[in-house]
Amino acid sequence: MSKNRLEDLQVEFSHDKLKELYKTMWDIRFFEEKVDEFFAKGMIHGTTHLCVGQEASAVGSCAVLQEEDKITSTHRGHGHCIAKGAEVDRMMAELFGRTTGYCKGKGGSMHIADVDKGNLGANGIVGGGIPLAVGSALTSYMKKLNYVTVCYFGDGATNEGSFHEALNLAAVWNLPVVFICENNQYGMSGPVKDMVKIENISERAKSYGFPGVTIDGNDMIEVMNATNEAVERARSDQGPTLIEMKTYRWKGHSKSDARLYRTREEENEWKEKDPIKRFKDVLIEANVFSEEDAEAIKQAAKQDIENSVTFAQNSPMPTEDDLLTDVYA
Amino acid sequence: MRVITYLEAVREAMQQEMRQNDDVYILGEDIGLYGGAFGVTRGMIEEFGPERVRNTPISESGIAGAAVGSALTGMRPILELQFSDFITIATDQMVNQAAKLRYMYGGKGNVPMVLRTPSGSGTGAAAQHSQSLEAWMTHIPGLKVIQPSTAYDAKGLLKAAIDDANPVVFYEHKLLYGTKSEVPEDLYSIPIGVADVKREGTDITIVATAVMVHKSLEAAKELEKEGISVEVVDPRTLVPLDEETIVKSVAKTGHLVVVHEAVKRGGYGGEIASMIAESEAFDYLDAPIKRLGGVAAPIPYNPELEKLAVPQVPDIIKAVKETLNKA
Amino acid sequence: MAKEIFMPKLSSTMEVGTLLQWLKEEGDPVQVGDPLFEIMTDKINIEVESYEEGVLLKKYYEVDDEVPINTIIGYIGEAGETVPDEPPASEGEEVQEEVDSPKAEKTTMEQEQEELEEVEGQVGKVRATPAARRVARENDLSLETISGSGPKGRIHEQDVLDAVKENAVLITPLAEKMAKDHQLDVRKIEGTGIRGKIEKSDVERYLSSQKVREEEPAERVKLKGLRKAVADKMLESARSIPHVTLTTEVDMTKVIDIRKNLLPIVENETGYRLSFTEIIIKSTAHTLTKHRNINASLIDNEIVYNKAVNIGLAVAVDNGLIVPSIHDADKKGLAELTAVSKTLGKKARDSKLTPAEMTGSTFTISNLGMYAIDGFTPIINPPETAILGVGRITEKPVVVDGNITVRPMMVLSLSFDHRAIDGAPAAAFLTELKETLENPYSLFV
Repeated sequence: MSKNRLEDLQVEFSHDKLKELYKTMWDIRFFEEKVDEFFAKGMIHGTTHLCVGQEASAVGSCAVLQEEDKITSTHRGHGHCIAKGAEVDRMMAELFGRTTGYCKGKGGSMHIADVDKGNLGANGIVGGGIPLAVGSALTSYMKKLNYVTVCYFGDGATNEGSFHEALNLAAVWNLPVVFICENNQYGMSGPVKDMVKIENISERAKSYGFPGVTIDGNDMIEVMNATNEAVERARSDQGPTLIEMKTYRWKGHSKSDARLYRTREEENEWKEKDPIKRFKDVLIEANVFSEEDAEAIKQAAKQDIENSVTFAQNSPMPTEDDLLTDVYA
Repeated sequence: MRVITYLEAVREAMQQEMRQNDDVYILGEDIGLYGGAFGVTRGMIEEFGPERVRNTPISESGIAGAAVGSALTGMRPILELQFSDFITIATDQMVNQAAKLRYMYGGKGNVPMVLRTPSGSGTGAAAQHSQSLEAWMTHIPGLKVIQPSTAYDAKGLLKAAIDDANPVVFYEHKLLYGTKSEVPEDLYSIPIGVADVKREGTDITIVATAVMVHKSLEAAKELEKEGISVEVVDPRTLVPLDEETIVKSVAKTGHLVVVHEAVKRGGYGGEIASMIAESEAFDYLDAPIKRLGGVAAPIPYNPELEKLAVPQVPDIIKAVKETLNKA
Repeated sequence: MAKEIFMPKLSSTMEVGTLLQWLKEEGDPVQVGDPLFEIMTDKINIEVESYEEGVLLKKYYEVDDEVPINTIIGYIGEAGETVPDEPPASEGEEVQEEVDSPKAEKTTMEQEQEELEEVEGQVGKVRATPAARRVARENDLSLETISGSGPKGRIHEQDVLDAVKENAVLITPLAEKMAKDHQLDVRKIEGTGIRGKIEKSDVERYLSSQKVREEEPAERVKLKGLRKAVADKMLESARSIPHVTLTTEVDMTKVIDIRKNLLPIVENETGYRLSFTEIIIKSTAHTLTKHRNINASLIDNEIVYNKAVNIGLAVAVDNGLIVPSIHDADKKGLAELTAVSKTLGKKARDSKLTPAEMTGSTFTISNLGMYAIDGFTPIINPPETAILGVGRITEKPVVVDGNITVRPMMVLSLSFDHRAIDGAPAAAFLTELKETLENPYSLFV
């Protein structure tokens, strides 16, 4: 019983891999905080949806994927992108609207995609990406490519018709897809308890005939274990799984959110459950690294984000010539 | 040459494509043993099996999204929607996803899919199963829109649509499924964006789509008896539109009547009329452009009312004569 | 409620009326039938009476304003009623009735149609299709000159092509090139080829005529002095007198015979040669004594039957025409007439006539017999009411007693003022003059 928490992890990861995951969490955290700052200063336009506080669900789930596996993301998608291997330089450049951005400055915050790395794109339509993930899984199935598609969406999306249509379709076709619901408690301002009558959203999987589990989405070990199991099922033709990861977004829904629908006490309670701190504690406890190492990794992440800003700011703007390119293939 | 129906031509294009390209598959509601709502896929599941002729749940949004997702990842899906009216349910996937992904992603990825769907009135199916909503789709950058009027065009254009790297909405007119024309047995492609002059004439140009091509040809035959020479141009594809052929014809005849079945208000005829007004042909116009389209009412059930709701041959004849000051 | 005063439409062609005067002022009481204002239409000046009783509340237009018919030009009502400061949009009574009559709401179609017509009314431009405009532009034609065959007069391409054809200039390629080289307007060149086709020679002729014109500009002389006086008199006569001209042919055999016999006698007595003119003057004066109604003047709406027979003799002088008067011609013998007429003629040419010699004629003779003139229509010398034109004497085949024979014939033309003289008396006079000349011995009676 004296074993440390890391021993619960059912995936074999090297210390370096674990340190890398820890850094990725900080990459996401700093990236989002930087973006928040730039939006506040008016240096970036449009809107953005930050995932500060939700780093574990993104990093933990992507940790168990292979490079050829695919993800579909949401409007709150920066974390998924970084976790799936995107370069923060090109992401930041995208938010600055530069040609070096992932979408050449034409997609922005909500549409970052990195098809080469298996990221089929963030999506501005709530629930819009779920059927796409099913289609991606269908390709894997029909072409016998053996890749798995992980489909992220929030609690709000599970009331969209596309969620139900897509889950049913994936079920009847027994497709290699993992549905990950990041339940961050609010669909914009709508508390999940007011919008869904059941306790756990994962219960919905039953009605489609495949397993559904609810886990602590701020716990890296639980996230990695649950995703790994679901990916294994998918890869071995056992069909889809629905994983509900309970988590919390520390910031508002988007940049113009006074967070009137929740209390500061509630926010502070969730900040106590900071997924990065919890993962750090696990790694220190398991002697993966020291406190000093952890601090060095954090500072490295911070520097990477600072560098990404320099890269973005030094990148060229698109011109009128780019306006009409890529409408059609 | 061999003569087959429009419906057979559509099926043949799919079969021949699927035989030579494993990435091509078809999905839709009741397209398996049932053969599809209009029988277009009849016999296909027997040849290609349930993997490539995928019978789906009644989930237009889900199956449209699945088609988009599989296209984005390397397949060439043909999505059949039983009635084009149901595109309303699949619209998010077509408009917000299929049409935009490539652009939003900065040119990464593409969505080579075809959404095939029967449109139009004349079957007594009434308001929710008889619409012609093609103008909606023509408004969306990133989509291509095709409306073949003959069996020959249907086969060649469907092949081109399947080969195209973009999402294509392919409107088949229910009343045309039974019409026949000469169709080569070999697979052939008709370039998307090339109009066809279905009849040459000198006095007036009629630009007509889908079933209205045939009504316009009938009207042209009648008008010929009165010495009026009508040119009938079938754009065949609305997006991209072969502006050159239409402009050339109108510059020649100096008169334009546009005919489609879709409701006139906001219909694609307005696009063609404005295109001409902005074009070289403007200075050759010798009468106001006339548009004929459906009345601004849902398609009614009663067969007489149903006919009244969309342009008929006498309406076209009248419009031509008015335009030529011969009314 | 105040009642509108409209500019009335007083004739089928009237479109505007000019306000000549208001007969009431704002604030004046008005009875039905009171004259309100006076207007001038395209035909008449007329006072317009009031249809209403009350007080003239408002006058929107001033004297001399041109006001379209059916425009509201003022209001009559009870004292103190308010009316618009500006004239309301014009509406005829017919329109008014239509608006007042209860009627179902207009369908969208009707409204659209009305709006359409309104737009057309406002635009006030030529209705023409783009194709028609293009062809007109290419052919340098104004659409205003072309009538349209389409709905509401819309001009179509064919209408312009027809107009182009009408205006088309037939020209050979060579001629066209020459014209182009010289920057000539081919429409000004007269063609002599088939169907008026312009050929090379036509262009050359046009070019040389242009040259002449360029080298020798036309002489321009202002109308003044005698020329101006003649011009004014002729214009006034031609414009104000209803002229009728009668002609007859006179056998001059006997006059020639008499002149031949009298010539030496008169010359001996006066030193002047007797001419036919004097014999004609004598005969005319003699005949006038029997036709007093021809020897008349029209002065100030009065016909003056003159007692004296004073014959005016039109004399051509430099730059004009002078008519000295031979007073009492009926009372003078041929010798005296010859002396007087020759003297007056010379004085006229020398500009030495006295005012008395230039005035008082009651009938004028204009003799162009010395030229190759057979007959002409002389213009009356007002206030006289008749004038005799004398042509040349020329030998002509005539029938006498059933045989064709050659006789010296002369044409007399009598123009008379139909206001004073009718056809029958004029004809009677001319007939008797003819008989007198054909039997001049009667003069001795």
